[in-house]
Amino acid sequence: MSAQGANIPESDSAQLRLQAEVQYAHELDCLAEEDDRQKPPNWKLSPWAVKLYLLGGTLSDGTEITPKYLGNDRLIEIAIATLATDRALLLYGIPGTAKSWVSEHLAAAISGTSQLLIQGTAGTDETALKYGWNYARLLAEGPSDRAIVPSPMLTAMKTGRIARVEELTRIPSEVQDALITILSEKSLPIPETDSSIHAVKGFNVIATANNRDKGVNDLSSALTRRFNTVVLPVPESFEQEVEIVHRRSEQLGRALELPVEVPALDEIRRVVTIFRELRNGVSVDGKTKLKSPSGTLSTAEAISVVSSGMAMSAYYGDGSLKAGDIISSLTGAIVKDPVQDLIVWQEYLQAIVRERDGWKDLYRASRESL
Amino acid sequence: MNRIQVFGIRHHGPGCARSLLSAFQEWAPDVVLMEGPADAEPSLELIQTGEVVPPVAMLVYPKQQPRRSVSYPLAVFSPEWQALNWANEHSVPVHLIDLPMSHRLALDEAEATPEQVTEEQERQDDKTAENAPVWRADPIAILSNAAGYSDPELWWEEQIERRQDPRQLFEAIQEAMRSVRDEFPETREADLLREAFMRRSIRRVVKEDFQRIAIVCGAWHGPVLDEAALKGKVPGCRVKDDQARLKGLPKLKTTSTWIPWTYSRLAYRSGYGAGIQSPGWYEHVWTFGEQAPQSWLTNAARLLRKKEFDAAPANIVEALRLAETLAALRERPSAGLAELNESILAVLCHGNTAPLQLIREELEIGDRLGSVPVETPTVPLAEDLARLQKSLRIKPSVEKKVLDLDLRKPIGLQRSQLLNRLNILGISWGILQQSGGGISTFHELWELQWHPQFAVELIEANVWGTTVESAASARILDLARSASTLSALTQSLDAAILADLQESIPGLIELIRSKSAVGSDVVHLMEAVGPLANISRYSDVRGTQCSAVLPLLKEMLSRILIGLPSACQSTDDDAAEAVQQGILSTQAALDLIQDDELTEEWNQRLSRIMNSKAHGLLRGSACRLLIERKIINTEELNQITSLELSPVTPTLTAANWLTGLLQGNGLVLLHMDDLWKSLDHWLMHLNEEIFDELLPILRRAFSDFTGPERRQMAEKIRTFDLKAASRNSSNSLSTEKPIHSERARLVIPILSEILGVNND
Repeated sequence: MSAQGANIPESDSAQLRLQAEVQYAHELDCLAEEDDRQKPPNWKLSPWAVKLYLLGGTLSDGTEITPKYLGNDRLIEIAIATLATDRALLLYGIPGTAKSWVSEHLAAAISGTSQLLIQGTAGTDETALKYGWNYARLLAEGPSDRAIVPSPMLTAMKTGRIARVEELTRIPSEVQDALITILSEKSLPIPETDSSIHAVKGFNVIATANNRDKGVNDLSSALTRRFNTVVLPVPESFEQEVEIVHRRSEQLGRALELPVEVPALDEIRRVVTIFRELRNGVSVDGKTKLKSPSGTLSTAEAISVVSSGMAMSAYYGDGSLKAGDIISSLTGAIVKDPVQDLIVWQEYLQAIVRERDGWKDLYRASRESL
Repeated sequence: MNRIQVFGIRHHGPGCARSLLSAFQEWAPDVVLMEGPADAEPSLELIQTGEVVPPVAMLVYPKQQPRRSVSYPLAVFSPEWQALNWANEHSVPVHLIDLPMSHRLALDEAEATPEQVTEEQERQDDKTAENAPVWRADPIAILSNAAGYSDPELWWEEQIERRQDPRQLFEAIQEAMRSVRDEFPETREADLLREAFMRRSIRRVVKEDFQRIAIVCGAWHGPVLDEAALKGKVPGCRVKDDQARLKGLPKLKTTSTWIPWTYSRLAYRSGYGAGIQSPGWYEHVWTFGEQAPQSWLTNAARLLRKKEFDAAPANIVEALRLAETLAALRERPSAGLAELNESILAVLCHGNTAPLQLIREELEIGDRLGSVPVETPTVPLAEDLARLQKSLRIKPSVEKKVLDLDLRKPIGLQRSQLLNRLNILGISWGILQQSGGGISTFHELWELQWHPQFAVELIEANVWGTTVESAASARILDLARSASTLSALTQSLDAAILADLQESIPGLIELIRSKSAVGSDVVHLMEAVGPLANISRYSDVRGTQCSAVLPLLKEMLSRILIGLPSACQSTDDDAAEAVQQGILSTQAALDLIQDDELTEEWNQRLSRIMNSKAHGLLRGSACRLLIERKIINTEELNQITSLELSPVTPTLTAANWLTGLLQGNGLVLLHMDDLWKSLDHWLMHLNEEIFDELLPILRRAFSDFTGPERRQMAEKIRTFDLKAASRNSSNSLSTEKPIHSERARLVIPILSEILGVNND
């Protein structure tokens, strides 16, 4: 809620997490050097270079650009094209689909900073989106530009950069609507000083929102119309998802210092298979249709099933991940609604788990736990 | 300019069509030679009527086997159609130059087993080079790879179809194909044969007095049909080679005609390999040319608005800007279908893909149906019907006639199947009056009446297939795909089995399987298993094979087992009645398939329902089914009965339970002495007040009993009481309320007087 967010903090080895523009400063510099294509006003890179930054590749001088987003390239192209046409971008999707990650990198590549950030919560008020007051100065001098404390949004408008709004749908609806003027008029009136701030070219907004969460405030249609929406899906390929779950649960196991061996890839494959099958409503061989439970079954949840299974086997089991160790957290992740989801899960057990070769242990474990 | 000009095209390419048309307008050929079976040439006359409206298909078939027909679909954006149309308008003769179907079908016959050649397979063989990479070099893939594109379709669309400047296009295509053919020569004998025949046809025309000869053919064939090739300057194209190759070809008698076609049959969605993915988009590009993106977005927005989605005109502008920026980002000259759809998704649909499906169906594919003039020569379907009418000895007549069919005789069965198939096609020549007398399933009474409009409907029905059987199969599958409820699907399956459409049955079963898997309503499932169980019975009576029904039935039954307990919870009266009907029909199905494991589980479910807090009707029904199957013995029943009917139970619940138990059918009560006894016992032990209170409800439970049942019950009451009395002298009735003989005697004199008997 203050202007200091716009300043790039000093790189510090003790810092828990580095901002995108700091961590990948070298890549951004090399890209900027090589980039000779047309840039929209106030963009640090051309749209083509931004795309290369997000999707990865090799520059002509041999610099390796790491891919920031693995998945459907076309979605990133739509996102960049949206920002290039002055339309605000709404990244939509279930939790754990890299929405914030993409938003951070887009802002870093386009404006050189990802720190003009407004975190949406149920308590976010209009001052977070517009401006607040320095009350000491307000009392001393009366309303003046100097007494105004600008929000990151206001800073982005003045400097022609990208503002990020995280979890837009958690913000109360009446506060959300403050964005309408900013997005359509590209200006913000300040009645107290009888003036208004006009956005400089290059200003834009990237918002992220969650479509499967409970207790969200749906966007009004007036606001929705001002965004181009890009839905980020769950990982497309099975291998990719197994890879993500494997790596993350390994890291988590290390962080918790669990005395357990690295989980067998087979067990992870099984969890990912179950999640994908239930999520897609069809078995991997494409032969059996299934019902989908009410939960999101995101990759993030698969990770937590595996890591809690690891904890189970470490403390109560023999230290290697078995069907019995994951079954309770698996059931918990899938059965969110005690009536409907239980039916879905039982049908799945009967139709798929029981019939599949080598899955008998899981079926037996499930019969014991239900 | 040369006397002979080759126009290498891609079938169904709107850009090719536009370029071809403008080239024709400029060059004005005086004869047009087209790739197409030469023996179909007589059917071109129909185009001159001006009443052929695309999409249509040219159909060639052997006179004796309409089943083996081959069709050449044409849409308004097909270059061939535009060439035909132009030639017609300018009175320029058109000749078809390809190897006649009479030879090709005869060759196929000689070559292989008489396998059915579907038109699509055939088309794939001879027309769409890009879908058959295994045995032939895919020229477009080779060229697009050379240009650095991963998607050959996209490359072709951008380079050829979306090109606004037609000049030099055909020379360029010819040049490109020539270099591909140099590297990957044609090796397939069938194609070499066709090319040889085409050259021979062209040479004949060249000898005549034409100045500007236009040859319209698939781009791949272009290089071997040009002037150099005709003169034998291209390897393997000498007159001598061609003559050797074309010597002594076998021959069949064929007929050709036109039939109406649809866009969905042109599209991939129809489930066949060949065709084009987005006929609606192609037509759009054909109509609007450069303006295609704008008008496409406008159409999409209008469609969305019609379906009550929010799509403001201002957003069309935004969508267009996004599509164009995307195209620029992807380094494309203009926004294509992919960019347009993506921007519709992001701007107009707010990331929701459901409306996009609507756009795919209504705009990308479109539901256009072509038409042909009434005087179109006989279509194969009509010929097939005429043949069947003859062999089954039923003549079409405009008079009403009643036909009595005995399904045990082959001719009766076949007639019934024919009438059922025609009904599926919407040709209601016969209307089934009644099926058998009550229980017998082998008699059918049909009322026949032929209407003249059936002839037109037969022409339209050709879209579905060329024989009555194949057309009905395709139609019923199409109907089933659009069916919204499970019971509609099972009805389709029922109809397919009545009409003996073996081909469609696996598809229908698959549809039912996927529908039942996603449906969450157990009641619907339970409704559907009844007809399915019937079907397994039909399969015996009608001699059809539907072994696949049984596994499906078992699968659905296991789903019912899982879902049943929750379906029985908190139901109101109406819902309980629906569930009860479902339980009964499931029980009937289970009795029919006799699967021990399922029956065992089913009985467990029933006992659970019986002991649960479900609606009284359901508990009663469950109890009844368990008694019938002797899962519960008399003692338990006694206990359950007294529990259910105990004084604290609300009277309505008790009555519901009783209604469920009796199920409007007294026979069980009559035949099961145990049940009879428990009820009797319970009734006897009711005290008078409660009995009075329960009487109306009891009456309701008994109200559905038939007259004979009531009479038998009355009999039973007498005999049973006697038996009971003889077994047990201290019968409750006689001890508690003895006849007061003193008081009875008092009425006797009056009674005697009324009856007119003397009491001495």
